[in-house]
Amino acid sequence: MAIFVKSAVIRIAVATVSSGLLMVGIAHAADESTASMTDAQKAALQKIIETCSACHGLNGRSVAPTFPNLAAQTAPYIELQLHAFRDQTRADPDAQAYMWGMASQLNDASISGLAAYFSNQSAAAGKSVNATLIAQGKQIFMEGVPGRQIAACASCHGAQAQGNGPFPRLAGQHAPYLLKQLLVIQSVLRTAPVMHGVIKDLTRDQMQAVVAYLESI
Amino acid sequence: MIGMRPFALHEGNLRLLAIGLLSLWSAKSWAVPSFARQTGMTCAACHTVFPELTPFGREFKLNGYVLDNIKQITGIDIDSHQTLALNSIPPISMMVQISYTHTSTALPDSALPGALAKDGEVLFPDQASFFYAGKIANELGAFIQLTYDGVADHFGIDNTDIRYAHHLSFGGTDGNSHNMILGVTLNNNPTVQDVWNTTPAWGFPFSGSSVAPGPIAATQIDGALAQSVAGLGVYMWLDDHWYAEISGYTAAIVGGAHPLDSTQSNVAHGLAPYWRLAYEQRWDRNSLSVGTYGIDIKTHPGNGTALQGPTDQYKDVAGDIQYQFIGEDHLVTVLATYIHENQTLNASFLDQFAANATNTLKTTKLTGEYSYQRRIGGSLGYFSTTGSNDTILYAAAPVVGSANNSPDSSGYIAELNYLPWLNTKLQLQYVAYDKFNGLRTNYDGSGRNASDNNTLYGLVWVNF
Repeated sequence: MAIFVKSAVIRIAVATVSSGLLMVGIAHAADESTASMTDAQKAALQKIIETCSACHGLNGRSVAPTFPNLAAQTAPYIELQLHAFRDQTRADPDAQAYMWGMASQLNDASISGLAAYFSNQSAAAGKSVNATLIAQGKQIFMEGVPGRQIAACASCHGAQAQGNGPFPRLAGQHAPYLLKQLLVIQSVLRTAPVMHGVIKDLTRDQMQAVVAYLESI
Repeated sequence: MIGMRPFALHEGNLRLLAIGLLSLWSAKSWAVPSFARQTGMTCAACHTVFPELTPFGREFKLNGYVLDNIKQITGIDIDSHQTLALNSIPPISMMVQISYTHTSTALPDSALPGALAKDGEVLFPDQASFFYAGKIANELGAFIQLTYDGVADHFGIDNTDIRYAHHLSFGGTDGNSHNMILGVTLNNNPTVQDVWNTTPAWGFPFSGSSVAPGPIAATQIDGALAQSVAGLGVYMWLDDHWYAEISGYTAAIVGGAHPLDSTQSNVAHGLAPYWRLAYEQRWDRNSLSVGTYGIDIKTHPGNGTALQGPTDQYKDVAGDIQYQFIGEDHLVTVLATYIHENQTLNASFLDQFAANATNTLKTTKLTGEYSYQRRIGGSLGYFSTTGSNDTILYAAAPVVGSANNSPDSSGYIAELNYLPWLNTKLQLQYVAYDKFNGLRTNYDGSGRNASDNNTLYGLVWVNF
């Protein structure tokens, strides 16, 4: 059963990665489109980046854990999320409170420009709090929880949690933010088809361990 | 709000003084859904519990209220310079406050000696305000409040702050560069432009009864100048840490005789410098700011005397500390401010509005607030004003005077808040006085005790 679940997850993951490859293509286009922007467009993009930085921090490294770090996040993931905010298909409470408004006036070129900008910033440094929790979390991240048919997070998010196309970078992300995302995904307040299956049996303690690990790297 | 110091008692117009005192203590209240409509974000982005600002709310204000996520009506000239950027929906909001006030002991009737006024008063409305709050053009925004005051029974200009803000980066390479906002503010109340809730214009209590008696003395910066001056200032916000501002204020009294003459009171003379310096550190879910602010203002007492010759000078120097914790469920705020005022009353002394040529006032305010999920919360505040005695400024008089000629008042404010929705607040407040105008018992020389002024204030406060 465990093998079946894992392979099913991988199948979905492969399908998502395939669409992700398409997104990677878009991201490259985004780089090019940023390069080919007029000065006025670049200035407009800079203005948007300044707005983002009010919550997400200078260069995408945020202070308050309510707001995720964006620095070094994968460009396809940023694009997907900004589209989901703009289209109001990502509907968790914070998405509605903050990002529906913030993304409402972004056009496709701005979204691509933002994804290109933030993905190119250097990542926030990790911070370690609880070594025992981190060790537990590392094991879950690297190996999953076979007894509960939970796949290894690393299989999609990368061995260093660096992200992979549409699968977000998790390394160095604020633990409270990650925990909240796991909770809203598990309760389906936030739609994330692959994740719903993977984490449906993840306990809160396990979540806390894995996010502690991710924040530490 | 009117400045009410060195004149009313001398004139023997206690009713006027009472109105002045009540106004000083009266409600001040702001929270504007038009910002939410303009940004597309809920109140929680900018406010812990309105009107107190979050770090993002401070950024929004420092950026000139211009952040928008709404369709714009735009125009450009032939050189591609933007000539217009106007919200397609005007940033108009409305606020209504309905209140109930009960003082521990009813106040004397204003006309019939020996009779008492009705106690347990409903004000419908206590205040009703219209706001223009939002973007005007690129880098230009405004917060303009017009308020109908249920006690004064008229509409008038309330707190107003029009500001221009320009963002720039300099020095270092990407990732290490400095970020700065340079701004200009045009406003009508010193500290209304401030972004921390420790300074008077936006300080605790955020609302209070406008019919209960208030203490006789307050420093100039603590509300006495609100809507009677106009100020123009420049400010800088550097790297999300450092705030520095210098402004100049001059007389700009609304109503009464114009050009301003002897029938006005507390008329600012010349240009009064106002300064503000603050440092804020943010970490995790916390923010801590430490700052100083103050004003050096000269005024003519007016009130029957010419607006010429000697002036009164007030030098207010203040320090403030604010701490905020904004968790998912639990929100905690601590506010502290201390104001020291040196008064050199050359004009009032000469005109016998004051018995001393120099006086001092010191005000301390400490507040702790807690909110659970921005829904249920409470606050506890301590306030104290002390200063030098003055037989004329603080003369004995029923309710509003001081039997021992002292400006000293202190007490506590306890508040319970329930917000069924983010833009609706139900509030119960109790103000308890330790000391009122110098004494605990028979403070006015007419038998009234400080605790007789203890006030229960219930408020329904809606913004839409």
